[in-house]
Amino acid sequence: MANTFHLKIVTVDGLAYEGDVQRLMFRSTHGDLAILARHINYCTAVGMGTAHVIMEDGSERTAACIGGMCSMMDNECHLLPTTWEWSEDIDVERAEAAKARAESKLREDKLSEEARLLTEAKLYRALVRIGSARH
Amino acid sequence: MAAANMKAVKLRIKSVQNTMQITKAMQLVAASKLRKAKDKAMQSKPYLRTMKRTLTTIANENTDFQSPFTKPGTNPKRLFIVIAGDRGLAGGYNANLFKFTEKEMEGQDYAVLPIGKKAVEYFRHRNAEIFTDEYAEVAVVTISECFRIAKSVCEAYEAGKFGHVSMCYTNFVSMMSQVPKSSALLPLSDFENPEEDQEPAVKNLILYEPSGEEVFNTIVPEYLAGILYTSINVSVASELAARRTAMEAATDNASEMIENLSLFYNRARQASITQEITEIVAGAEGA
Repeated sequence: MANTFHLKIVTVDGLAYEGDVQRLMFRSTHGDLAILARHINYCTAVGMGTAHVIMEDGSERTAACIGGMCSMMDNECHLLPTTWEWSEDIDVERAEAAKARAESKLREDKLSEEARLLTEAKLYRALVRIGSARH
Repeated sequence: MAAANMKAVKLRIKSVQNTMQITKAMQLVAASKLRKAKDKAMQSKPYLRTMKRTLTTIANENTDFQSPFTKPGTNPKRLFIVIAGDRGLAGGYNANLFKFTEKEMEGQDYAVLPIGKKAVEYFRHRNAEIFTDEYAEVAVVTISECFRIAKSVCEAYEAGKFGHVSMCYTNFVSMMSQVPKSSALLPLSDFENPEEDQEPAVKNLILYEPSGEEVFNTIVPEYLAGILYTSINVSVASELAARRTAMEAATDNASEMIENLSLFYNRARQASITQEITEIVAGAEGA
């Protein structure tokens, strides 16, 4: 079909998805964006957020997508996230526990700058995963 | 005399048997872990390949490229990331890697980032300058730790502490053969290889957001972390394969030793019985 493009999602843990899709939406380092078929050749760094993939048949799948890069070359899209978890695979309990842990740690005052940044990143990751699982 | 000798041989057989039990167990454990480690090492390969291809495309097709990671550093000092094992009894796994690393380092000003207990011990013993020894246990290094390593290495590189970064690890060729290997990580000079750029006339125009430089600089640490993670997985698989082979040889040796000792024991037993009979017969004749 003309309005689909080939998408390949590869993480360090292996191939997460390969196939034709209609649309890919995710959050880059500078905001949300969507990629449609015949997008201009494009390359960006991926931020933290919920990603949506509209499959060839119009069904939608969501996932937590954090870090990495995305490139679109000649109607061939490569998404290389650091972590990619389909929403149905997300362990919400674990994410909630991580969120609670990070929050209680942030309430402590004597956190070094580095530790604070690390904990904030952890909290944000947990929030993204919880948010993605609810979709 | 003969009885004492027999007792000693029997004890020896017993002790060799015990050793064999241990080596056999280690062999089986290594073999079962190896299967998992090999799968893990294979899984991360496509990520690396795709990442490398994309980075090469960006580096080759961007005409106004300016990234601190692509220019060769002015500092002659090198950083070596050495990935070894946590434990011994893996044949020549660690020794081979260190010998290889020594050769690579020869005549250079260097610092080391050891990963794995054996590597930390080795370079501490040699009083080498150690970048960080936080990652002493290679078996528990996770992907997020790889990102931390990659980030700190990139920061140190950008700050000009090192002019080059290389990595020494053990490549998993097959179950029977593992070869130490080194690969250059930074600068990414191989990305700007003009020979690879075979169609210079047809430049694809790519839109980079926010900018090519920024995208590249965000991706490089990720790419490094990916390489590190893959290499660690490959090294762990190599270590297990080396241990399995070494323990297999040890078990074979032990069973051979037991065979020889049993033969010796039986001979000694036979000799003592013959002697006793001779003595009895001699005694009977004398009476």
